[in-house]
Amino acid sequence: MVPFRFSNRTVAVAIALVAAGYLVLAFRLPDFTAVDVPVQPSTLPKWLGAVLLLLALTLFFQRTPPDEPGTDAPSATPTAAGGGEETGETAASGEDASGGGSPASAADSADDTTGEARLGRLSDTRLELLAFVGSVAGYILLLVPLGFLVTTTLYVFGSAAYLGYRRHLVNALLSVGVAALLYFGMSEGLNVTLPQGPFPF
Amino acid sequence: MLSTPRTPRVTATVAAGASVVLLAGACGETGGQDANGEWAPEQPIELVAPAETGGGWDQLARTSERVLVDNELVEQDVQVENKPGGGGAIGWSYVDSANDPHRLFVTSPPILLVPLAGESDHGHNDFTPLAGLATEYMTFAVPDDSPVQSFDDLVQRISEDPESVSVAGGSAPGSMDHVALAGAVQAAGGDPTELNYIPYDGGGEAMTQMVGGHVDAVASGAAEAAPMVESGDARLLAVTAPEPVDSLPDTPTLQEEGIDYDFNIWRGVMGPGDMTDEQVAYYDRIFAEMVETEDWQQEAENLGWEQSYMDSEEFGEFLDESYAESAEVLDEVGLRGDQG
Amino acid sequence: MDTLSLLGYGFGIALSPENLVFVFIGVLAGTVIGVLPGLGPISAIALMIPVAYGMDATTAIIMLAGVYYGAVFGGSTSSILLNAPGIAGTVATSFDGYPMARKGGAGKALAIAALSSFLGGTVGVVLLMLIAPYLARVAMSFGPAEYFALMVLGLTAVVSLAGDNLTKGLISAVLGVMIALVGIDGQTATVRFTFDLPELYEGVEFLIVALGVFALAEVFTILARRTAAGSDGTVTSLRLTRGEIGQMAPAAGRGSLLGFFAGVLPGAGATVASFLGYSAEKRIARDPQTFGTGNIKGIAAPESANNGAAVGSFVPLLTLGVPGSGTTAILLGALLVLGVQPGPLMLTDRPEVFWGVVASMYVGNIVLLVLNLPLIPVFAKVLKTPKALLVPLVVVFCVVGVYGLSFSVFDLWLLLGFGVLGYLMRQNGFPAAPLILGLILGGLMEESMRQALQISNGAWSIFVTQPISATLLALAVLSLAGPLLRALRQRRPAAATGGPGNGGGQGESEETRGQARS
Repeated sequence: MVPFRFSNRTVAVAIALVAAGYLVLAFRLPDFTAVDVPVQPSTLPKWLGAVLLLLALTLFFQRTPPDEPGTDAPSATPTAAGGGEETGETAASGEDASGGGSPASAADSADDTTGEARLGRLSDTRLELLAFVGSVAGYILLLVPLGFLVTTTLYVFGSAAYLGYRRHLVNALLSVGVAALLYFGMSEGLNVTLPQGPFPF
Repeated sequence: MLSTPRTPRVTATVAAGASVVLLAGACGETGGQDANGEWAPEQPIELVAPAETGGGWDQLARTSERVLVDNELVEQDVQVENKPGGGGAIGWSYVDSANDPHRLFVTSPPILLVPLAGESDHGHNDFTPLAGLATEYMTFAVPDDSPVQSFDDLVQRISEDPESVSVAGGSAPGSMDHVALAGAVQAAGGDPTELNYIPYDGGGEAMTQMVGGHVDAVASGAAEAAPMVESGDARLLAVTAPEPVDSLPDTPTLQEEGIDYDFNIWRGVMGPGDMTDEQVAYYDRIFAEMVETEDWQQEAENLGWEQSYMDSEEFGEFLDESYAESAEVLDEVGLRGDQG
Repeated sequence: MDTLSLLGYGFGIALSPENLVFVFIGVLAGTVIGVLPGLGPISAIALMIPVAYGMDATTAIIMLAGVYYGAVFGGSTSSILLNAPGIAGTVATSFDGYPMARKGGAGKALAIAALSSFLGGTVGVVLLMLIAPYLARVAMSFGPAEYFALMVLGLTAVVSLAGDNLTKGLISAVLGVMIALVGIDGQTATVRFTFDLPELYEGVEFLIVALGVFALAEVFTILARRTAAGSDGTVTSLRLTRGEIGQMAPAAGRGSLLGFFAGVLPGAGATVASFLGYSAEKRIARDPQTFGTGNIKGIAAPESANNGAAVGSFVPLLTLGVPGSGTTAILLGALLVLGVQPGPLMLTDRPEVFWGVVASMYVGNIVLLVLNLPLIPVFAKVLKTPKALLVPLVVVFCVVGVYGLSFSVFDLWLLLGFGVLGYLMRQNGFPAAPLILGLILGGLMEESMRQALQISNGAWSIFVTQPISATLLALAVLSLAGPLLRALRQRRPAAATGGPGNGGGQGESEETRGQARS
């Protein structure tokens, strides 16, 4: 199955709610009266909110095509130029989309090409994604209190190990190396100070 | 640097003493609080530019940093920190929250105008004025072939038919260019609320739009007006300086035109609210020295800044005065946001 | 003096050993900074000003200009390899560059990008040299009404970027415009949609959205795909067949011209140029349905356009003293610090600066090409990294890029939020490109519309009584009408079809449309 795919109706309702909230905010914007302005700051937002509501309505009545391809990669016609391997994998999201029609094809087709271990540990892709979002959130949360060096080292090492990278020594060296390189490169080379945390350098 | 805490302090005192002597000899009246100013920074001085890299504040901060460090006026390192956001509000609250005498910020009229517009919880009274460093004046320009002959003439035309005259500026209504313009129009007997003010993203853009024939006049900083004026595409009606400006010999001041108004795009440095007299005295000294250096004067000339050093006390009084003036103008135009 | 002898004079300056060294340093630093996601030329130039200070003004500007176009040149690398735009101007490059890289053509995609960048830069310099002074006057004739019309024309590209479902494409575009309006309104100083968060007062930084909906969303997708291994095969080969070059060259030529002219207009800049280049190329293409899957022309057009625009933006900077973008604003600051006052008099007052910089751009572009081509196999190896390692590293790069932009943890949360949004959009068939288009054009469109109406005291006729603006709006209507009519006739959603392209490609568009129909 494709994680986090919803029917057009569900999506339409969500968008309509956003549009409604936006319209409320737009109508609450004060008019600018100090100087006579032909277009108020709220004019365009009101129109945008209304248009979004209308579009949501249109979407609501569109049936959800079972195999609608992801749109930024309109389905797979290989370019005349494609010289590399073109099996299994199509473009970025075309692939997710093809999974919509035939469940599990996303993982399968990829496995065909590479035959490698899976990424991550949880069997439910949705949970895996949520866990990933959680890990990024943790990274952001700790970035300033612990400093860039420590947080980044921990995050890269932890994530990579969790996701299935087994060469722990390489991983450790790499995570320390990348963190240090970015940190010192940025602060010394570019004069951009990343959060330093409790350390004096 | 960090290993022996005593030595730098001795050096600091010696340097400070020497500088006071120098200053006393050089200009007599400024900077000389007292020579016992014991305080010296114990860690790098952080100079906050409450804007992104590349803007006017960033330029001021980085120029100051360069001059201070290159001329060895400070014993500690100086680091520029960019804290953009909220028209300065983010950077101001960053300085206020640390309340550390090593964390200063560079500033200009928005520290008065943004709070007046109700967009910042921190105003100039929350900080300690340390030095006024330079100033630039506002100019009013028209295309070279414009029938408008003087600022008075412009105001007249606005009064007769406000809709027919559009005046552009490089910032939003209620911010610097607009306030300066509105104040001048009011002083000349016009009605600032009738102004058809068109905001652009910067004085340079406003000038080209005017030369391109899209607007009738422009209020902008002297430096931003300069290229088009020098090429003969535009003509300056007046400058908002109290005295005639050397770099603009042919441009009358508003005062000379009989309009009692001047406006100053000043630039300065402020520190956190709680600073001891010794700390203030220390910064008073280094900034007074800084503006005397050749480096500073050269850069100021390149950037179109006029010399107008003010020490901490003068700068504080000046800020209070400007604040009152700006508040009045904004009240008049109806753009004041901190009371509504 | 004629242009050739002036150029010779310029080369005399640019080829001095000192200037050669600094143009090399500049483009090298630019490429490196461009490759890192998020870090743009703005901070690089700001930080090099102290270095430049004290140098001869011409040398310093040669170096700083090199940083700028070097960054635009190098910015495509991470767009293509990681879907993480190195700089804002290369977002459109990822539309086809990344799919091609994923299909095993990373080296080829990078080679196309490098060659197109080179072409864009070179065409730009030739035009800069020949017609800069006249162009400056043309740029001045663009007032608010003309900008508004141009933005409207740009927004009609949504139709070609929308993919299969026009409704979803439009929703995406509307969301983009909505994001563009967050912050203090520049026209009235009204605070809009900030939820009282001061961090949002200055709006949402474009690059945060782009890194979120492209790079982070892609990381989610990689994760959901559950394949652990890196790509293998011929990723590092950069060999192009004659047919491929035949496809690339005309697209890059059109992109270069379009990009240069877009760059000349203050406010448009490399980002807008690359989007215009991409959508124009897609509109006139015979095979629009393959755009987004790794089409050569889809890489060549935006890459040549953004490099053309980077050079084009020197026209208003040097001849009017007006910065057209954040990057040129800081360059202007640098010029002033160095005692050079750009403006209409610069060509007569400081010819050595103008012609020296122009000549150095020829040199710089060749250096960039020579520098980048051998590096392509090295860069392309990134794709062989096991995914388990690549995923956290991309996250770290995005975080560093965003933090280095604003020093704000709040923006990191925004980044994560846009990542999640981007992934959800992708899973539900909403294209991200229209969102980005709405974001870059929406704010400018509103601003110029209001400026124009303020000038005209509310009379909408200002948009149709000015010849340039009227022409642009007519083009916009035409480019919408074509696909819509066809969609009605065929009774299915329009993907992307003809309609005159912007600027240069109009003749071809008529021709290709005919062929597409037959």
